[in-house]
Amino acid sequence: MGRRRRNLFVLLFVGGLIAVSALVIATKQTRLGLDLRGGVELVYQGQPTPQQPQVTQDAIDRSLEIIRQRTDKLGVSEPEISRLGRDQITVGLPDVSNAQRAIDQVGTTAQMFFYDWEPNVIAKPGATTPAEAPFTNLYEAVKLAAKQKAECRGCTEGPRLYLFDSKSHRLLAGPETSKRDLFSNQKGGKQPPNSEILTVPQGVLVIENVREKLPGQKALPAQSWFVIRDRPSLSGKDIKDPKQQFDPTTNQPNVSFDFSGEGRRKFHDVTRVIAQRGLENHVPGNPPDQDSGHFAVVLDNKIVSRPIINFQENPDGIDGRTGAQISGSFTIQQAQDLADFLKIGALPIKLKLISQTQVSATLGKQALNEGLRAGAVGLLIVVLFLILYYRLLGLIASSALAAYGVIFFALIKLIPITLTLPGIAGLILTIGVAADSNIVIFERIKEEIRAGRSTASAIAAGYKRGIATIVDANVVTVLTAFVLFVLATAGVKGFAFTLLIGTLVSLLTAVVFTQAVLGSMGRTRLLSSPIALGAARERLRWHFNFMGASRWFFSMSGMILIVGAVALATLQLNLGIDFKSGTRAKIAVTKPTDENGILAALSSVGINGESVQRVKDPGFGANVFQVQTRQLAPEQVGRLESAIDRRYGIAPGKFDSQSVGPTFGKTVAKSAIYAIIFSLLVIGAYVALRFDPKFAIPVLIALFHDILITAGVYSLTDREVTSSTVAAFLTILGFSLYDTIIVFDRIRENVPRLPRAAFSQIVNRSMSEVLTRSLATSFSTLLPVLALLLFGGTTLKDFAFALLVGIASGTYSSIFIASPVLTAWKEREPTYRRKRQRILDQMGEIPAFPEENVGLRAEDELASPAAETTDASDGDGAVSEEPEALVDDGGEADGADQPLEDRPIGSRPIGSPPGAEGSNGAKRNRRQRRRKHGRPR
Amino acid sequence: MALLVWFTMGIAIWHFAVFVPDHFWGGIVGAFLGAIAGAMTVGAVAHVAASKTVGDTDLSTALVAVPGALLGLAVVFLIGWRAERA
Repeated sequence: MGRRRRNLFVLLFVGGLIAVSALVIATKQTRLGLDLRGGVELVYQGQPTPQQPQVTQDAIDRSLEIIRQRTDKLGVSEPEISRLGRDQITVGLPDVSNAQRAIDQVGTTAQMFFYDWEPNVIAKPGATTPAEAPFTNLYEAVKLAAKQKAECRGCTEGPRLYLFDSKSHRLLAGPETSKRDLFSNQKGGKQPPNSEILTVPQGVLVIENVREKLPGQKALPAQSWFVIRDRPSLSGKDIKDPKQQFDPTTNQPNVSFDFSGEGRRKFHDVTRVIAQRGLENHVPGNPPDQDSGHFAVVLDNKIVSRPIINFQENPDGIDGRTGAQISGSFTIQQAQDLADFLKIGALPIKLKLISQTQVSATLGKQALNEGLRAGAVGLLIVVLFLILYYRLLGLIASSALAAYGVIFFALIKLIPITLTLPGIAGLILTIGVAADSNIVIFERIKEEIRAGRSTASAIAAGYKRGIATIVDANVVTVLTAFVLFVLATAGVKGFAFTLLIGTLVSLLTAVVFTQAVLGSMGRTRLLSSPIALGAARERLRWHFNFMGASRWFFSMSGMILIVGAVALATLQLNLGIDFKSGTRAKIAVTKPTDENGILAALSSVGINGESVQRVKDPGFGANVFQVQTRQLAPEQVGRLESAIDRRYGIAPGKFDSQSVGPTFGKTVAKSAIYAIIFSLLVIGAYVALRFDPKFAIPVLIALFHDILITAGVYSLTDREVTSSTVAAFLTILGFSLYDTIIVFDRIRENVPRLPRAAFSQIVNRSMSEVLTRSLATSFSTLLPVLALLLFGGTTLKDFAFALLVGIASGTYSSIFIASPVLTAWKEREPTYRRKRQRILDQMGEIPAFPEENVGLRAEDELASPAAETTDASDGDGAVSEEPEALVDDGGEADGADQPLEDRPIGSRPIGSPPGAEGSNGAKRNRRQRRRKHGRPR
Repeated sequence: MALLVWFTMGIAIWHFAVFVPDHFWGGIVGAFLGAIAGAMTVGAVAHVAASKTVGDTDLSTALVAVPGALLGLAVVFLIGWRAERA
């Protein structure tokens, strides 16, 4: 296919893609994440049961399916239910505002067991009628249970640990299956002083009594407990067709069900035994109900119902042909929920709630608006920068950015990607990525034009040479995003996926599309003027001895890092609740109050000594407070909300909360550390393979430098480190490399072109050539980040701050850390040692730039050709190979690629201007030549 | 946190190794490893001696890494210098 035809095809293809994308955007809904539309997110950790001793993949999959069916019953549209790590499950319920009901509905294990009551209940010491004497103190019940011997006959639970305050006997934690879980929410993860651990053995249960309001009672009775032997007669698996119905006599809601064949037999057997026992124990004169035995229905260690099996009415038990019904003090909703639980089935494992987030819809909408505004501003300023700096090329790049925006947004709707706040940050960031690709190519084109090529030839060469740099830089970004996607937690996954897709789309629009546009316009008059391309003349020529000055930059970095280390040691990092666990709530109240008012409301429900802060958030409300506490249980969060609502009134939908348990905090921290380590390994491996193993080490050192400086800045400014900050950190790794790869790519290119130069000279030359490009790419990435920082909401601002520091540090380290380290290391190689020594011998010192090796070139002219051949092919790969000729569309070749040292000084594309270039060095060289060879005659 | 502090201090001190003639074993990268290993080892020993936990850091945690990093650099320098003389 001819070039013109190919360009036309690409343009038509992209045009078609834009048209289809526009259609998708117009017709498809955007799927918004919880943080943008409001809702509840729950994270559970699977725990084994005696029936399921290990949390297997299959158990998690079955749990996911059961949760999916339960959320369908809850009426949630587009729930997001997925596995997280090895044994965790995340459940996103958009538009749900009642967190407690969601928790009850989703995470309830719903394991139902039926017990023959009297032979199993363990009498309270001194009680004559154990069934009627529950414990009103949990500690006493657990103490009695702990004294029993372990005995398992079809038991439903393993051993359980309880932690009590040894003086007040208040429950501090439990029941849990291990000491680690028991202490996980205690200070330092250790057993607190003055506490007592009680272990209930397998085969014994402490169950909560039914709290039934009796006629004439105004309030529910206080909590009470029974201790029973865990020997169930039937389980929830033995019943079928559960339905919510009404009791025909009392008209109270109940749950009716039938038995399976096996269940019917078991039910008949146990009710017969209860009836016969009732008959045996019957004292003549007593009403039959008084002597009849009980049959207890226990759901998740709570008695649901404890009916009497009247021996007179059912002397042979109940055969179960007509099923049975569970009557309790149910509301219609509770009876429906129970029927649904039984119908869907119990979870195969226990689910422990380790994180709970409730996002208000108002706050979500506000975050979305802020994110979109930041995105629009970011796009606008990047477009302005491109047009101002690159003129016509900038205009073409802007059209590519517009095409990128349309295609990317359509993909988000089509896949569909759930758009989250970090995802929006990723989207905005990819605007910078897309612009960076164009900048790399445009700078190359400008370079080629200034070197004397025709526009068409410069465009062809620019793309041909720039593409490798762009691919290298983008592969690194894609790899980092991939690692992040695989290892990070749910919120950050959205960011990683958006970054991944965005980077790939940007390659299509920024490289393929712009190449086709420029290729089609290459010979038009529009592109014939260098002014129109922003390549008229080079205003800024870098002629700086980067390597010579590197030790001062090293010192500066060293000083900054010392300050950072001291800050980290003394101030530490302000880790967010997603790392250290806790509960945070943001509340907009309608009546004016202050922090003390909120504290008083909290202490009225037993939440004391917490941090309350008034925060400015006009979009959320006039009186906004942020409460931060140790981790609160879901019902405590509910109490917190209602206490503040009672006193100061919470505006509808203006309550936002997040509770993170220590287990989830550890998971987040661990995945963050893994993500950083894997990213570094992957990046190191890629650079080693693509460049040279020796190039990988300076890259990694520069990355350490960036991460540590960012950590130091976070410590000094006391900014909160969240999981989003870690995502930003990892993105920094990718972007820091963008600059490093631009520099290293040019060094790699210049090594064979400067066969007689010292490595420091090659690096100096390379840096001079690409510094403008490197600064321009950093600047274009910083623009959307600045937009995020100025116009994004709280989360996006945090994200942007980490990126801002990281990009600034990354740009700096690429130039002043990675390259000098590479130089110092490469110059130890025998080849470069010899070259360096030769220059030193000839000139007395190493000039900053290879074109200043005047004395050496004069020497070379006098030396025999054989000597030069030996030197130039020392076997280090720096062989003076003839560079490939650049051929443009018309097949013309120019001399832009002859070895740079051999070019006439005046024709050098970048470097010092002829008059100024190394004037001192040139004079010095002349003096040295005179010393060595005598004054020329 | 203590590990992060020692690591940061080790890298910080390494930056000043450019003022010393490059006789380090493995060059600047060897110096890098030496500084970090020294800072981490001495930091850990001092921390354990002071019966502190990893999360328990203060100014001394940062300062104790300085002689560690210098020691590490000195060891790597001596090894390199000997190797060059041999």
